[in-house]
Amino acid sequence: MKTKRYAIVLDTHRCIDCKACTVACKVENNVPLGKENYRNWVGADPLRGSYPNLGESYTPSQCQHCSNPPCAHVCPTSATTVSPDGIVHVIDHKCIGCKYCMTACPYNARYYNEEIEAVDKCTFCTQRIQVGRIPACVETCPTKVRVFGDINDPNSEVSQLLAENPSRVLKEAQGTKPNLYYLI
Amino acid sequence: MSTLLKQRPPLWLWLGILSIGVVAGFAGVINVLINGHAHVYNVTREIPWGILIATYVFMVVSSTGLCLISSLGHVFGIKKFEFIGKRAILLAILTLLFGFGAIGMELNHPIRMGIYVMLSPNFSSAIWWMGTLYGVYLILLCGEFYFLMKGMHKGAFALGMLGFIAAVSAHSNLGAVFGLLEARPFWHGSFLPIYFILSALVSGGAIVSMIVYFNHKETGTPMPQKYHPFFDILGRLQALFMMTLIFFVIWKIIPGLYGHPPEKFEATMATLTGPLAFNFWFFEVLIGMLIPVIILLNRRTRTPGGVMAAGLLATCGIFFMRYDLVIAGQLVSMRQGTADLVGGLLHYAPSITEIAIVVGAISGCLLVYTLAERYLPLDAEEH
Repeated sequence: MKTKRYAIVLDTHRCIDCKACTVACKVENNVPLGKENYRNWVGADPLRGSYPNLGESYTPSQCQHCSNPPCAHVCPTSATTVSPDGIVHVIDHKCIGCKYCMTACPYNARYYNEEIEAVDKCTFCTQRIQVGRIPACVETCPTKVRVFGDINDPNSEVSQLLAENPSRVLKEAQGTKPNLYYLI
Repeated sequence: MSTLLKQRPPLWLWLGILSIGVVAGFAGVINVLINGHAHVYNVTREIPWGILIATYVFMVVSSTGLCLISSLGHVFGIKKFEFIGKRAILLAILTLLFGFGAIGMELNHPIRMGIYVMLSPNFSSAIWWMGTLYGVYLILLCGEFYFLMKGMHKGAFALGMLGFIAAVSAHSNLGAVFGLLEARPFWHGSFLPIYFILSALVSGGAIVSMIVYFNHKETGTPMPQKYHPFFDILGRLQALFMMTLIFFVIWKIIPGLYGHPPEKFEATMATLTGPLAFNFWFFEVLIGMLIPVIILLNRRTRTPGGVMAAGLLATCGIFFMRYDLVIAGQLVSMRQGTADLVGGLLHYAPSITEIAIVVGAISGCLLVYTLAERYLPLDAEEH
């Protein structure tokens, strides 16, 4: 059987910038209080048009769980590793807090967590995946922006969405091979 | 101590100022240990490397430069440079150690580092290579200093040669720590590893001119005659290094402007006209390069005092070069929609605690060196 490769497909047209994903993530993963402490976020794209013809869209995002992750390449103590199912993890007790991964990540997906005393980031809610649940941000989203699944399984919802729709990844030119796909 | 009491006021003043600096540094360190990095440093999620990293770079560039310049004497056999060996290597050791101290305060877990760089090394990490090579370099410097003090020339030559190789390897890897970050266009590429080697020569030459100039002042004796031709040669060399540095700086800027390359352009403009502009034009260009080069190129001002003054100014300028390099590379946000942007850029200014630790590291280094100059036989038996 082919190994799993977890991914999230996002339909940003549905995003209403409610930030429920960020709140759910902070609660689920014990992310400390403070505006710099978050594993996912909703980015506001620049305003389009001029009054009264205006438009705005939002790009919710998080760690891209890159297949070619620069954070893992630069970590001096191998504290950042990639699990067989493609999830990029930080092994807390090996993190020395040099923040090299934070300067290397082109998505600013990492922050230093003073409570666990290590750099922290999205783990696709591994603790939930292990018991057959989906990540908290995916579950909570009121407009179902995010769909989580295994892109190595051609019958999964994510694979079908990517087959049926064109999509893009963030900063493709960086060569990081992200596993968050944005439907166009 | 009794002889210290008899010294002219400047030495007292010097030691007093350095002691205050060291106390400030200790206060900063204690503040971090009690309150934690997040509460006393101004580094952020988006600008995780601040003035302590810049100071580390400044200190280890100085160390590398001292090693390279001193190797002109006891490795490459340029007679006029031989007498600086002990002082240069001693200060190379001290700048490296205090540089480690500065980065140690930036790291959240220096003890974990000691364990896991050995237990689970990552050979694709430039920081791993830099740290390991600087560790080797430190050991070689200590050995070299020991041999120099014992007058064992063969050993000093052998370790000097190895130290030279380690210095260049470690230092270019420090450039690679920045240069290998594809996510940071202002840093990315082979420029920084090469530039770091050149700027180490400038730093080394500048600091050597100061330690040679001041070592006799401290004892109140007149400057030995042999120093005059040394300063003339050092001044010329330093002029060459600095003119090359100016050329490097110009060619760092042009690709950052030409065609407005995304992110690189914004970072370059942050240096030229943005939040780092005063640092750049006043400290880097005027104090750090133009005035020293004018002093060094003019035969009438290329006196021992002039070469020292040029070195002092260049060293001040180089500190700002390190700071601006480290900060400029992080000022452009990695993503749209980020809060706290001023003029499209992120903001960083060092906190009082960060500045106190920087002052402590530099003062501590100078204080230990001044005491070593006083109590170690650095003039005895030159080869």
